[in-house]
Amino acid sequence: MDGDFPNEDMFPAEEPGPPRPKFEPRFRTLRPREMSVNGAEGDVKPRKVSGIRTVLSYTGIPPSWLDKRPKLPSRNWLIFLSTVSTVAGFYIYDRQQCKKIKREYIERVKHLAEEPLGTLERPRKVTVYGAKWPGDEDYDQSLKYFRKYVKPVLVAAAVDYEMINGKRHGELARRTADEIKSRRRLAAGIDSPSPYTEALPTRLPPDEEYKQELAGGIVIVGRPAFKEFMAGLQKGWSEGLEKVDAEEDLAQELSMDGRFDEPEVPEEGIAVEATAFTPSPIVFSPLQHLNQPKPAKRSGENISSSLNTPPSTIPLLPPLLLVPFIDYIGFTQVPLMLWDFFNQRHKVRAGARAAYSLIIGETRPFDSPSAETRLFTDITTPDNEAPSSDIDFDRSAEAYYKRSTSALAGEIEKARTKFYEALPAKLATARALARGEREYTKEENERPPPSEMELRAERLKKELRWRRDLEGWEIVKPATKVAWDDRFKDILRLFVDPPSETEPTLSNDS
Amino acid sequence: MSFLGRGGSTPTGGVNPERIDMAVTELDTVTDFFNRMVSSCHAKCISTRYADADLNKGESVCIDRCVAKFSEVQKKVGEKLQNRGAAAASAGGAGSFTGL
Repeated sequence: MDGDFPNEDMFPAEEPGPPRPKFEPRFRTLRPREMSVNGAEGDVKPRKVSGIRTVLSYTGIPPSWLDKRPKLPSRNWLIFLSTVSTVAGFYIYDRQQCKKIKREYIERVKHLAEEPLGTLERPRKVTVYGAKWPGDEDYDQSLKYFRKYVKPVLVAAAVDYEMINGKRHGELARRTADEIKSRRRLAAGIDSPSPYTEALPTRLPPDEEYKQELAGGIVIVGRPAFKEFMAGLQKGWSEGLEKVDAEEDLAQELSMDGRFDEPEVPEEGIAVEATAFTPSPIVFSPLQHLNQPKPAKRSGENISSSLNTPPSTIPLLPPLLLVPFIDYIGFTQVPLMLWDFFNQRHKVRAGARAAYSLIIGETRPFDSPSAETRLFTDITTPDNEAPSSDIDFDRSAEAYYKRSTSALAGEIEKARTKFYEALPAKLATARALARGEREYTKEENERPPPSEMELRAERLKKELRWRRDLEGWEIVKPATKVAWDDRFKDILRLFVDPPSETEPTLSNDS
Repeated sequence: MSFLGRGGSTPTGGVNPERIDMAVTELDTVTDFFNRMVSSCHAKCISTRYADADLNKGESVCIDRCVAKFSEVQKKVGEKLQNRGAAAASAGGAGSFTGL
């Protein structure tokens, strides 16, 4: 303890005793020599004590407490207290502001929730799309952002929402495309609507339904979701209408490549088999998919080409609300995370503003990249200098992708190679056991090795996942541009911030 | 009930008392589920001020979501319980069956 108080030791205890300072520093341990000095204290003239002090001294309160004088805590305590109070202060201030901002926006839209609604009427409903952030195992991050910052205002305004999430890359794109295709099928009369929904009392005629949908909106959280959504949109409106069972197609394709074929000389055993089955490296490119022959149409599905050609115009889409979102991951982004933790009010404000603009519902046309500029920028200028349009929404967020995500294709390739290297041995075991060529060993009895069927199923599952991941990554990766089709030009609209005079309170309270 | 009981006693009636029991149990389950749902969604969504005879927009959206969530969870829990029940039945035989 003494080491912390260098000043104390500058007056060593050898000082003459009686004229002691009246208030020696407390907490100082008494050394033996001082004890004797204290013993002589009775000779010093008695201190004048106040009445209260006298009274209190008889109450049993320790006299040391009564003599206490206020003083600054020690240096270390000061450091500790100031640090803690600063951090806590930042935190508390931030959360107070968050609550305040949220409350303000909620107050502003609350009147919308108080209107009466008939039992068969429907409230406004928006669809929310989120997608997996590259490199983050937690695929739900973008929708978490939505739930935390945008949703409260929507709930207060009684806007219903449906959240759609892509758990893996490309899932959202596929889903969007499938949805569009099924709608097109309905519209073309290939499918008929389900009789159950037809019988519901809340059912609306299709045009009414469509009107309702247009009155709603689409919320897209983050750049990856935007890219996937646009890719899905393009795919859905340009592909044919046949129902494609991707799993079935892949199974057929895989059954051709002969990895499960019997080796010519089965007697030679596993070693030979393993070399015989070393997979040739598969060079996987997105083009490979394009070059594959289109699967044959399913039986009973003869869609006339007039219905099957992609339409030249696309019906109007509900307006989009693009919510910028960055998911900080990785060690290098820890400072940003910290900064973020103490500045949630900015996100709350951004989210609430976005929700507010959706609720107010003012829109503007999508600022589409014109054909010339796109052509021009493709050839000459680097991407960064391209004139910005709405298609560049939140593009800066791509700089925050983890660097390791760019190695995704390689990782998939590695996993695939590893799997196929291990496959022949497993296959040999499975076949030997199935044919009764050898007995189950003790371990195998406890944990039976996969049968050939299981191996096939596993392979199909893995291949499907690898291919889809890669396909999705091709959509999301920073080098790929947002899918664009000139048919989109007039159908996309964006919600805009309402004019500033409608929000007088917010400009000055930040 | 007496009519049904009599129907069960006659050999040609085709009413199986076991099935009746099952149906009664199921009806109880469904009623119970419905009552729970109503009470919890009511507690969650509807303010006790009762200013208006009709539901307002906020309340109806809330109830929509609440009911959807409730039945979704019910479905999931039911599936889980069924799986567990099936597993327990297959593992421990008929004796280990406990009322789910």
